[in-house]
Amino acid sequence: MPQTSSGTIPLRNFGRTGVKISALGFGGHHIGDAPDERTAVQMVHEAVDGGITFYDNCWEYRRGKTEVWMGAGLKGRRDKVFLMTKTCPHGRDASVALEMLEESLRRLQTDHLDLWQVHGMGFENDPELFIRKNGAAEALEKAKKEGKTRFVGFTGHKDPKVHLAMLATGFPFDSVQMPLNVFDHHFKSFEKQVLPELNKRGIAALGMKPLSGHGDAIRQGVITAEESLRYAMSLPVTTTITGIDSLEVLHQNLRIAQNFTPMGEAEMNELRERCKPEAGDGRFEVYKLSLRFDNPEARLAHGFPIDTQQSEVKDMLGEQTNTGHPFPEKLC
Amino acid sequence: MSGNTEWNRRSFLKGAAVLGATPLLAGGNMAETKKDDGQEIPSGSVPRKTLGRTGVQVSAMGLGGYHMGSVATDQLAMEIVAKAMDHGVNFFDNAWEYHDGLSEERIGKALRGKRDQAFVMTKVCTHGRDKKVAMRMLEESLRRLQTDHLDLWQIHEVVYENDPDLIFAPDGAAEALLEAKQQGKVRFIGFTGHKDPEIHLKMLSHDFPFDAVQMPLNCCDATFRSFETHVLPEATRRGIAVLGMKSLGGSGELVKHGAVTAEDGLRYAMSLPAATTISGVDTMEVLEQNLRVAVNFQPLDAAAMQSLRDQCRFLASDGRLELFKMTKKYDGKIGREQHHFPTEQQLPL
Repeated sequence: MPQTSSGTIPLRNFGRTGVKISALGFGGHHIGDAPDERTAVQMVHEAVDGGITFYDNCWEYRRGKTEVWMGAGLKGRRDKVFLMTKTCPHGRDASVALEMLEESLRRLQTDHLDLWQVHGMGFENDPELFIRKNGAAEALEKAKKEGKTRFVGFTGHKDPKVHLAMLATGFPFDSVQMPLNVFDHHFKSFEKQVLPELNKRGIAALGMKPLSGHGDAIRQGVITAEESLRYAMSLPVTTTITGIDSLEVLHQNLRIAQNFTPMGEAEMNELRERCKPEAGDGRFEVYKLSLRFDNPEARLAHGFPIDTQQSEVKDMLGEQTNTGHPFPEKLC
Repeated sequence: MSGNTEWNRRSFLKGAAVLGATPLLAGGNMAETKKDDGQEIPSGSVPRKTLGRTGVQVSAMGLGGYHMGSVATDQLAMEIVAKAMDHGVNFFDNAWEYHDGLSEERIGKALRGKRDQAFVMTKVCTHGRDKKVAMRMLEESLRRLQTDHLDLWQIHEVVYENDPDLIFAPDGAAEALLEAKQQGKVRFIGFTGHKDPEIHLKMLSHDFPFDAVQMPLNCCDATFRSFETHVLPEATRRGIAVLGMKSLGGSGELVKHGAVTAEDGLRYAMSLPAATTISGVDTMEVLEQNLRVAVNFQPLDAAAMQSLRDQCRFLASDGRLELFKMTKKYDGKIGREQHHFPTEQQLPL
């Protein structure tokens, strides 16, 4: 992957579009864990100053709080960044997706996105629901044509097969987001099954979950945060999106990214071998195996039960507006 | 889905009865179910089918071992086994880890004096541990089941992607199966799992002399990560007997969500080219419901099978009714521990 050093974090090509973005991306979900909006805004300011140009978000994170906070942080800096958010129809109509787009633009205080992705493709019938008549595919097409987004893509953390089925719909995606970390190499692997296909097609590959989700492997001492992040960033991806919930984590990530030198194949193989015994059954990648890490909105839209112990569900259920039906109810 | 309330209510009650205890199932409902049916079990017997290349004949419906441990009392468990045998059921499923041994103990007690009329299966639960652990479990199972040999001994819950590697590692569980067979402690050997057809195919690719393989088979499976499509033909090609389970989704999900009635769900599973359909029974009412379907059973024709698949297709398409494939819900405690997964409390779905 060609790299040029501009600012302090390496920039890489966003697929074949000619656009360049930072090799480390700012994950939008965790900004909602900042103690207050002021801190969140400061995190965004420091991230922009530190050379992060890629900003991830999603319509359904924290009932909009993360988009609002990121929008506030990017005020006056919008033209310095590549802004992405996601839409969450979860199988519902294009009109649902487009209403979400308008709301995202308002919250993010911008008239256009750089990238708009369909969030959380994880159920096996998602590709079929996406490409159907009146499905979300039509919304992506329309938003791009109207200039409300420059590029379009999809995301998911569940199963490489679902990603491949999304690609098989033939829709012209500009980007695809997926979990990429050293444990993934050995278990239902996006690295092995999806990444080569994207590079072949010139679609921008966006890595996420570089610390394998909630960092259990790091807490248990199997791997360090730095090794884990460096591994993910050394793969042939456009960027690696990582969650940032505090200034400390931001500083740590900036330090790793600013001093980033890619691992060689030998070093990567050594790490793969070291992690293999604990990777083969997916114990550190529960997002591929359990509904626990699925999105409550997606579950509801698909008719799955929800786990009321999950923090995100608790957030959701704590909202007065929630009725226990797919959100937003008026759009269903 | 039918808009007919009567149909929905009845199918729900029956579905609930099949899965046994849901919080919604009160004793009154059970009585109502019984009154509603008003049907006798026909005279005759559950047909027998051939267990793969072994040539042994087993009943087309088997009694699931897990639910044996859920039956309210020992006495009722004895009565359920006796009544099942009176109607021709001879296949008894079990596992070393079910209810800390209670399921095996009850079957052992119920089969006292009738051991030779039964085909007794149980499963070994090494979950990646070595042969020694397996052989110790075998001795314990034999003791609980009050027998000197099993008809079938299977490796339980092959559901983690690295299970095949662990099972076929030197000194692994596969060697235990062969040793037990050589020693005459088991007649036949196999494995089970509810997760992913690919894991089953990986097990089969070792060309190990399995006599049987157990898998989920139901009218939703045909649409979603299908064992029927991917594993059943491969096992059959190899002459390995197929044992069906989770005919109604594991806990009656297919029935509760209106995909199919309990009767049609059982009929579908029993019409597949499997040697038996293992169904969990925890009350006499559920046994009677099952026997009404299984006694004198005639397989559905291809058109009826297709129509049941079509009927379930929408609800089946994202796996929402087959949670054993989609979530950790049906993955047992010991397996999770051995694979260092979070506990059921930490990871409820």
